[in-house]
Amino acid sequence: MNIPESLSRRSFLQATSTLTGAAYLRMLAPGLAAITQTACSARDEGMAFAILGADEARDFAAIAARIIPTTDTPGASEAGVIHFIDKAFAAEMSGQLNFARAGLAEFNDALRGEHASAVHLGDLSEDEQDAFLQTRESSGLFNLMWAMTIFGFFAMEKYGGNKDQVGWELIGFEGGHGPWQYPFGYYDAEVHGKADNGE
Amino acid sequence: MANETTFDTREEVDFAIIGSGSAGGILAKELATAGFSVVVLEQGPYRKASDFTHDELSVVFRSELHGGGNDVHGQTFRHYENETALQPTDQAPVRYARGVGGSSVHFTANFWRLRPVDFKERSLLGPISGTNFADWPISYEELEPYYTKVDWEIGVSGAPGPFDAPRSKPFPMPPMPIKSSGVLLEKGAAALGLHAQAEPHAILSQPHNGRAGCVSCGYCMWYGCEAGAKSSTLAAMIPLAEASGNCEIRPDSTVIRIDTNNKGKADQVVYLDINGVEQAQKVKAVVLSANGAETARLLLMSASTQHPDGLANSSGFVGRNLMYNAHALSIGVYEHPLNDYKGVQVSRIVHDFYETDEKRGFYGGGGIDARPLFSATPIIHALLGRDPDTPHWGKGFKDTMAHDFTRTLSFVASTTSLALDSNNITLDPESKDAWGRPAIRATYMDHADDLATAGFLEDRMAELHEAAGAEKSWRFGIHPTTGGEHLLGTCRMGDDPATSVVDSKHRSHDVPNLFICDGSSMVTSGRGQPTMTIMALAFRAADHIRAAATAGEI
Repeated sequence: MNIPESLSRRSFLQATSTLTGAAYLRMLAPGLAAITQTACSARDEGMAFAILGADEARDFAAIAARIIPTTDTPGASEAGVIHFIDKAFAAEMSGQLNFARAGLAEFNDALRGEHASAVHLGDLSEDEQDAFLQTRESSGLFNLMWAMTIFGFFAMEKYGGNKDQVGWELIGFEGGHGPWQYPFGYYDAEVHGKADNGE
Repeated sequence: MANETTFDTREEVDFAIIGSGSAGGILAKELATAGFSVVVLEQGPYRKASDFTHDELSVVFRSELHGGGNDVHGQTFRHYENETALQPTDQAPVRYARGVGGSSVHFTANFWRLRPVDFKERSLLGPISGTNFADWPISYEELEPYYTKVDWEIGVSGAPGPFDAPRSKPFPMPPMPIKSSGVLLEKGAAALGLHAQAEPHAILSQPHNGRAGCVSCGYCMWYGCEAGAKSSTLAAMIPLAEASGNCEIRPDSTVIRIDTNNKGKADQVVYLDINGVEQAQKVKAVVLSANGAETARLLLMSASTQHPDGLANSSGFVGRNLMYNAHALSIGVYEHPLNDYKGVQVSRIVHDFYETDEKRGFYGGGGIDARPLFSATPIIHALLGRDPDTPHWGKGFKDTMAHDFTRTLSFVASTTSLALDSNNITLDPESKDAWGRPAIRATYMDHADDLATAGFLEDRMAELHEAAGAEKSWRFGIHPTTGGEHLLGTCRMGDDPATSVVDSKHRSHDVPNLFICDGSSMVTSGRGQPTMTIMALAFRAADHIRAAATAGEI
């Protein structure tokens, strides 16, 4: 493999080091792929969560929904990221669940300390939620949720999120639908228009 | 075709080949079709093309084709020999695929020949103090017929470039078509007076030797090719080896030791089978092609009373001179969609800076390519490929990804590494892998010239983005290497047994029936795409080994 993974690893750590996120991404990696097709059927049929209680599921989902918000296009909520998170915590990431629960308790204590009327993140306006989350950016819980939201939004549907491939559609990735014919993009279109075989 | 050929471990086979990758797969085919009995011991599983997936989470983040992450392999890393090596918990410091076909299965298949200068740079440029910079014992001209053999038998697509080494036969098939990233590299290069050329690939641009051509699914880098169009040894060589009726591929076989008899010859290869049960294959000769890290580890693990410092290591050069190739990276975003995740990674390269230019003030050279890199798949893009100056969560994060993913390309520079005593593979004194073997310990700090070369090319790549019209671009900076896939130099070839491990025909200086051929044989690092050379060396080694065996000289 000739991609500079030495460099990518470093970049990976740099990209996350300010968030102290690298450790959480490492914890995440072994746990993600054991989740099977059952995640999809669970999500589609509105079944109960595999491991998460209703309140904590709602809180995790609310955090995910601010990391990749719903705008004029689908976000983490529509992608079913919470089902990815649930399945991950139920399976190979079960070792991280206590950490996440402790983090959530601390998160909610801080939330309730700051907003006397709020019990859950979702009780706040979106602007208030974002402002509060900014104060939690360096927390372990936020970074774990950040990574899990990205994985849940973009990993294959069989892992429970990325419902109807909305994550891929958002960024214009049709990766599940190849093979492809040239031209692929704007800049090669003219070249391939002029040649029979692309060369 | 089902492989019916099997050998009893007590039956003395002509050759046990350790490793089935770029070199081992070729040696298996060459020796088995020549009529020798061959057992290939491969530590990974026997995956078929239909086993390969597009599952980014599993392949990239679970290291599926590596046989798992570093919790399995226990590898350790340090920059300097006076430090205690630590075990990274995410990526292993030396990375390779475990499975039949080895890393030729999941590599990106960029496929550069070395040039004549690579073999004799030491003579041309003079010594470099504190390094083991040396000429090869062979020339480009000696290796050229084997490069051509790789072109035609393995299957290489390409077209001649302005600086290419001479070739005795044209490419067997045209290059892969140009992509938008290639068009933009051409544009930037033309504006700067540089010369973009088509990238050669170990990927079939059209059907060849009974194999199908590339379907442009886009999953080359890190993934196995489900179309069989990538010219891995799994696709191109192993079927021929098996069809000879003389070759058994024995997967899930983890070698732990090569034993020698009282005459100093290798007589059996000891390995753990899939159940972890120790087995010993009797052999007339051994070909070690396990890669530049595993080959060194196995020789060091095979220490005995006769060979106290490890097998074939009277020189002390086993494991030394590890060369990873240094790299640099610059990412740019352009006005219109490229959709560069489709198709092979690279379609155009710039080789204007290949040779050392003493005016730069340091040794080294390299090549630049254009590719999607971190923007070939979504998770990696979100983590690594996006503009670091944009928000990492919220609406700004989402909007930036939605806009940039299809518009992003990377320029990647691959460069020389100098051979140093202090860069090496050794056995970690504490850490073990999941099979109980001493874990691989990598010690590595790039020579200052290697980092200077990478920095020089990083500057050129920034200029290329600007000249190509990027809306924005950013650099990753030059950092000391902490791991890699190019595992070169650790059992270097040479005429002097005091400063090399194998002779110019890949026979170990110390053990007459032990041959070593893989990235470890390389004396210099080339400019960063070593697999073509590893494969050419394997075809050449096979010729010499076959001749020696036929003459009764093993």
